[in-house]
Amino acid sequence: MDRQAGPRAILEGLKAAGITLIATLPDENLTELLKLVEADRESIHVPLCREEEGIGICAGATLVGKKTAIIMQNGGFLNSCNALTTTALQFQIPLLLLIYYAGDIGDRGFATVGTVTEPVLHALGIRTYLLRRMEEIKETVHQAQVLAWDANRPVALLLTKDVLGTRG
Amino acid sequence: MKRYECLEAIAGEVGDALAVTTAGATTLEWNRFRPSDGNLMCKTLGLVSSISLGIALGLPQRKVLALDGDGALLMNLCALPTIAWRRPPNFIHIVFDNGIYESSGARATATSAGADLVEIARGAGYPHATWTTTVDEFRKEVQAALGRYALSLIGAKVEPGRCPVPPLELDEVENKYRFIRYIERSEGMKILTRPLPASYRRAPLG
Repeated sequence: MDRQAGPRAILEGLKAAGITLIATLPDENLTELLKLVEADRESIHVPLCREEEGIGICAGATLVGKKTAIIMQNGGFLNSCNALTTTALQFQIPLLLLIYYAGDIGDRGFATVGTVTEPVLHALGIRTYLLRRMEEIKETVHQAQVLAWDANRPVALLLTKDVLGTRG
Repeated sequence: MKRYECLEAIAGEVGDALAVTTAGATTLEWNRFRPSDGNLMCKTLGLVSSISLGIALGLPQRKVLALDGDGALLMNLCALPTIAWRRPPNFIHIVFDNGIYESSGARATATSAGADLVEIARGAGYPHATWTTTVDEFRKEVQAALGRYALSLIGAKVEPGRCPVPPLELDEVENKYRFIRYIERSEGMKILTRPLPASYRRAPLG
């Protein structure tokens, strides 16, 4: 199995969507995707220390014409909830959230964060799409960005190990 | 010195620099002294520096002022190494340190016990970071930062105290749209243009 096929498709989806600024914070399961983002010379890469600042960075860049995405773990999504509420939602700023789904089925050690992830996204009113099948990756990433800009809100994609090439 | 005296002193110096203001009195005072659609208020305590970084990276040809406070910066200290890592030369970070959370109950912040935000910025990798203690010194440091084209942080040790301000005439969403339209006008960009409906793209008109 080509473990980079999923991460490549995610990056292709981001490019198809016109995204040119990507903020990231690592997770072991995001490693291949982050290597591709770091190597990409066409977009601005902003490595973060904490996810909440990434919401601010993406929001600021969006206001001056960039299309932006943030790649993080779901624990980091929980870190970013105040910024999502009082910056992204309050100012109606579109953002694309690519969230590694720790605590997904088959995972060990992250069931608590896995359990609260989707309810918190729903409580924030953030439309959420779960990516499990390789053939849907590129188009879903692209179309989620279209939805974010049409709705003037963040949209979330939950990245499973299946699409990150780290299952098994 | 007072924060509003500092803001008044630089309002005429910053030209068409974009300005992002931290949640609280700084937003109201800056908009009194420099009313502009190039002003953006921040409503998430601490996020002003990060929003400003996004603007500075997205629009490298424009000067960006982050008007930050001690309580806000302490809440988002990790912004400093992130900003220093990217080191945008068009980013000017101004921090008013009054030692208290003035807009939320006036209780003490950690700087009142000695935390030094300029030293922390230097340690995070800011190439220029300096304290100022008089309005004249502050104005000169801001002028120098505007002229040097390198990431700079200017700390202002201020006494607590607010000045009379008019109420803001806009909410966050209108602020967003006015700010974006201002960028579109002043940079000759199109940011909010929506695609034509599909029917216009599929068939010729007439």
